[in-house]
Amino acid sequence: MKVVGARIPRYDGIAHVTGRTMYVDDVRIPGTLWVKALRSPHHHAGISKLDTRPAEELQGVHAVVTWQDVPHLVYGHLEALGIPADEPLLAKDEVRYKGQPIALVAAESEELAAEAVSRIEIELEERPALLDVRQAFDADAPEIHQWGNWYPHFEGEMDRRQIRKGSIEWAFESADTIVQGVYRPAAIEHAPVETQVCQVVPEPSGRLTIYSCTQALYFSMGVVAAHLQVPLNKLKVIGGTTGGGFGGKVDTATETMCCLLAMKSGKPVKWRWTREEEFLCSSTRAPWHMEIADAVTKDGWILGRKMLTLHDAGAYARFSPYGLTKHSFHHTGAYTIPNLEFDGYVVFTNRVPTTAMRGFGVTSVSFATETHMSRIAKVLDLDPIEIRLKNANRVGDTSPNGVVYTDPSTVSTIQAIAEATGRELPASYRTMTSEQREGEWLPEHLVAQLGNPEDH
Amino acid sequence: MNVTVNGVAHEIESAPLTPLLDVLREEFGITGPKAGCHQGGCGACTVLVDGEPRRSCLLPAAYADGGEITTVEGLGTPEELAPVQQAFVHHYAAQCGFCTSGMMLAAHAYVVGGGTDDTEAIQKALGGHVCRCTGYAKIIEAVAAAARGDSFDLSETAVGRYTTMTTGGAE
Repeated sequence: MKVVGARIPRYDGIAHVTGRTMYVDDVRIPGTLWVKALRSPHHHAGISKLDTRPAEELQGVHAVVTWQDVPHLVYGHLEALGIPADEPLLAKDEVRYKGQPIALVAAESEELAAEAVSRIEIELEERPALLDVRQAFDADAPEIHQWGNWYPHFEGEMDRRQIRKGSIEWAFESADTIVQGVYRPAAIEHAPVETQVCQVVPEPSGRLTIYSCTQALYFSMGVVAAHLQVPLNKLKVIGGTTGGGFGGKVDTATETMCCLLAMKSGKPVKWRWTREEEFLCSSTRAPWHMEIADAVTKDGWILGRKMLTLHDAGAYARFSPYGLTKHSFHHTGAYTIPNLEFDGYVVFTNRVPTTAMRGFGVTSVSFATETHMSRIAKVLDLDPIEIRLKNANRVGDTSPNGVVYTDPSTVSTIQAIAEATGRELPASYRTMTSEQREGEWLPEHLVAQLGNPEDH
Repeated sequence: MNVTVNGVAHEIESAPLTPLLDVLREEFGITGPKAGCHQGGCGACTVLVDGEPRRSCLLPAAYADGGEITTVEGLGTPEELAPVQQAFVHHYAAQCGFCTSGMMLAAHAYVVGGGTDDTEAIQKALGGHVCRCTGYAKIIEAVAAAARGDSFDLSETAVGRYTTMTTGGAE
């Protein structure tokens, strides 16, 4: 390996240690206006009145924008991939999460912008909120989304991400024991030290220069262009310097709204979220609800897995259908289980929309599957390392979605863990490799799932 | 009110209760100190006031009146890095870099104050400085190296106009 373990020069080290790296908040454009947002104070409410005139009349306020100023109000983060849109850039008739932006002000100082926001007249009718995915399917659950309480637009207009493999009936009939577990990792705020920040400059040429802290520059460019209904050549996006993101700067949070204010005021604008806004309104890693039931034999083979996942999307879909799909492909973890019945739902709640964070959709399921492996070992009174090696992915095994593994590393990883923790393994486990299964490692129930690695 | 920042005299025009961080960044345009939380929680805004590390977001400008302030820009230059700066580059202790400005000044104050390479002492000195990239192990390694007075050949770890790189990363 050329890179792993080698000392590789990095291009930005010296700039970082001398304070010369230019983050978005460090860009200095004379005459810049400051942006503040009117945000929903409720988890769920109807908007019955919105009058921004008192804010516009304030001396030093140069632009106020609402949903009426957005050329294409509802655009989905994955619309280009065929996932339909559900989220307005600025709330129109209703708000679905606490902190959802409703109107924005650009003024000559941050304090003035905040003062103008406080003068906007708004009337809200609070509605019942749905905050727990487990209640979304109840008959009396509040209806919170135009598509129903869960995402209905997977391929073939299915309302879930479904995986069926082998014969789950055979697995559960043949099992010695069923081992069940429920796993519920909580939401996590990315909390980068650099909060969301954006600077937009309207150029005399008619183009907009966008200084962005995004983790996904070309992606954000497409989202901005779609909302504004302008060709990409009207946007010059300067990015690539991010003060921490961890997934929280994948969603396009500020760029489009700053563009609208820059266009309306004709002046450069800057929006820098406070730490409080970052915690209250920025996207988080999703909370997940995962239920697993495994059909196992007393000697530690996993014959089959039934799994139900409820993925909390928060108020809008954004990337959640994609995250759940990744989750479903990894729902057996690093192990081979030939008979599967997986149902995953993207559930809407009145929480902030959730997004990627360090292994989007997969970290949650890794937590569940690894904890469950240890639980199986405990129930069967078997060694947790040995049970992992026994079921580990090997060359020629197939993933839940039918990918044939050509270079899996589970065996060597688990053996390294055993060595690092001083655990003595029996010879048959110590000498095991990732090569194609045979002999005692190829029981009858794993024959049919085998694929040909040469084909991949 | 008057302050010296990195050896240059400045008159402060902002109101006396303006946070020093805002004076530095918005009035003087010195952007090394970062605004991470504006409430003393993250340490990214740390500067030295008369040699002592201070959270500039919580410090009223009036408090710094007559003081000597050092920001990361004044610690060393790209041409001539301070020992802690060299150590951070050599040990890859900066990831996204946003917390690094504050880390540098806390680390510098620790080292020039006679700090040793003892891990617990370094953790205490840098306690409260948040690195959300979670690169703490490398940061502690770097501070320990600077405290020991290690010397560094940065041609291995840094690339740019200020290094004497002779070989590139790729073949």
